[in-house]
Amino acid sequence: MPSIQVFDKPMCCSTGVCGPQVDPVLPRFAADLDWLRSQGVSVDRFNLAQQADAFVKNAAVQELLTKKGIDCLPLTFVDGQIVAESEYPSREKFIEWTRLPFTVAPFPSLSIVTDTGCCSEPGCC
Amino acid sequence: MNLLTNPTRILFFTGKGGVGKTSLACATAVSLADQGKKVLLVSTDPASNLDEVLGAALGNHPTPVPAVANLSGMNLDPQAAAAEYRERMVGPYRSLLPAAAIASMEEQYSGSCTLEIAAFDEFSRLLGNLSATADFDHVIFDTAPTGHTLRLLTLPTAWSTFLTTNDTGTSCLGPLAGLQAQQELYHQTVLSLADPSLTTLILVARPETTALREAARTSRELAALGILNQHLIINGYFTTVYQNDPVATAMQARMTHALDDLPAELVALPRTTIRLSASNVLGLASLRAIFGSDASIADDQTPAIHHVDLPPGLGSLMDELAEPGHGVILTMGKGGVGKTTVAAAVAVGLAERGHRVHLSTTDPAAHLAAAVMGNSMPNLQVSRIDPQQVTSAYTTEVMGVAGANLDAAGKALLAEDLRSPCTEEIAVFRAFAQVVAEGQKQFVVLDTAPTGHTILLLDAALAYHKEVARQASEMPEFVVQLLPRLRNSNLTRILIVTLPEATPVHEAGQLQQDLRRAEIEPYAWVINQSLAPLSVHDPVLHARQNHERPYIDEVVNKHAARTALIEWQNEPPTGILALEKLLTSTNRS
Repeated sequence: MPSIQVFDKPMCCSTGVCGPQVDPVLPRFAADLDWLRSQGVSVDRFNLAQQADAFVKNAAVQELLTKKGIDCLPLTFVDGQIVAESEYPSREKFIEWTRLPFTVAPFPSLSIVTDTGCCSEPGCC
Repeated sequence: MNLLTNPTRILFFTGKGGVGKTSLACATAVSLADQGKKVLLVSTDPASNLDEVLGAALGNHPTPVPAVANLSGMNLDPQAAAAEYRERMVGPYRSLLPAAAIASMEEQYSGSCTLEIAAFDEFSRLLGNLSATADFDHVIFDTAPTGHTLRLLTLPTAWSTFLTTNDTGTSCLGPLAGLQAQQELYHQTVLSLADPSLTTLILVARPETTALREAARTSRELAALGILNQHLIINGYFTTVYQNDPVATAMQARMTHALDDLPAELVALPRTTIRLSASNVLGLASLRAIFGSDASIADDQTPAIHHVDLPPGLGSLMDELAEPGHGVILTMGKGGVGKTTVAAAVAVGLAERGHRVHLSTTDPAAHLAAAVMGNSMPNLQVSRIDPQQVTSAYTTEVMGVAGANLDAAGKALLAEDLRSPCTEEIAVFRAFAQVVAEGQKQFVVLDTAPTGHTILLLDAALAYHKEVARQASEMPEFVVQLLPRLRNSNLTRILIVTLPEATPVHEAGQLQQDLRRAEIEPYAWVINQSLAPLSVHDPVLHARQNHERPYIDEVVNKHAARTALIEWQNEPPTGILALEKLLTSTNRS
């Protein structure tokens, strides 16, 4: 089975709920990693505030941090190779990189989402 | 009294700010130390004044109080604890990671959540780890104002449930992630608090209706946490023998009325009543006198100061406050000084001038509804930022927006993260920012939480401001604009409310320093409940009246750009009519 490693910016939490506005990309990405785990993929996610050790031990991460600063984060590795820099890859990308024999599960329809009287774009409420 | 004859090992003093917790905790500590017991006195108040009361320089660790054998004291300073915690997490990597990485780690550990958690961690260490205080027969906690204390007390339950049910390992623990190993300690903290043979919870209240109602609420909430061994202290009870002193008889009547109406929860508790002292409690002699049976009063015959060079009431400020036609007015200060009352009076005054006014509060222990007393007024809207309610609304919003495109497992993950104790902090902060934003169009009068919590909110504003500057996208306008709005003196006017007494004045001075560090300049100070302009004959009140002078002078000469003074009222200032009196001050006798 493939293995994935993600090196995040210093964060309070992986879904970003600790910030004053949740970036929808973060909970989506956390859910994708969780799904990959459920498919048997080995997933490790480190954030600089809480697991700095992992950053210290990875020479490639160290090098990029020195060269580009923290803007290179998040860094994604698949089987030890850097596959993405400064962005959160989609579930489709992971399926491609890991050559997993899965198709993307369809997203649930929006009808089950509780209506909050709020538009669906971030920052508008 | 039974509190002192057979005390439990841990005595926990709680209550609204300004009710005399520190004095009573100190008096208890000194009294037990005088009996030969080894005592540790701990303040968890971010604005502690233990040093001032004991006349000793205390630090973050137990320090012997030179003048009292067997007594040690310490201030549990959240800022220092947070700094120590941050260094523990970041320090080891300084030489191992690039400077930019270190800087961003430090920033992540500078938020209010870190502050809260670091303070709580220190507190748990003292309470949950019995060996940390093994040298002492008694450990006495003088806690922060009620709202903050309750948060500290409820956190162990919330966190430990959260930690045991969080099995994905990815959830939002925030800065607590570094503290997962402490779970057992937090559990122990809850057990210690709930063990009646170990801990007594002492609720301190003034004999005033609103204060007693709040004490009842605290009593209920603590009982719900399993903390049942409670004791009530009524502090500052006053009776007069001078029936021809209308101020004295009115004060006595207000207190008697409040005690006649004592809420049921409090009637059931063992109770100690402490008489109103003639002066501020400062220094060891006055501490030792508190539990003494003889409430002797110094025969103070100094002529009373009838002439205070300050215009009466808030009226003098109202014209200037009303002038822009809109804006944000914040009342700040130590708990129990009358922030709510002043906020309500200002709101009533502005509404009477025909302005649209929204009166709101972030104080978890608000009694705004009681202050306005159900009276409605055209143009005046009253609301409260209820932490539970705003948290639930925020959670729903996040689930609806960020959770919209997630599958069931993703939604569950997000919902789990939203159970984090940090969520409430964020939600309250956003609600506060949202109300402030209304000040662009109309008047918003905000009665903020007691000092400690206010500071946390402002810290949050600063931390977020940095965050905003770095990644300007995704941030709601009202959050981005909060700090600039608070700093804009044309839009935001801050009224610092104080009583003419040592501690409230000194704490308010500290608050003003904190505000200035955040580049926010207070507009005026309001000295509340002053006896100075009144004619009193009762010797206790007379002495207290004279004790006000240096503190009034200190406010006028040292702290305030503008000062208003509200005299002590014969009737509790609740209801529109009574609030109107504060604008003009008419009960001069």
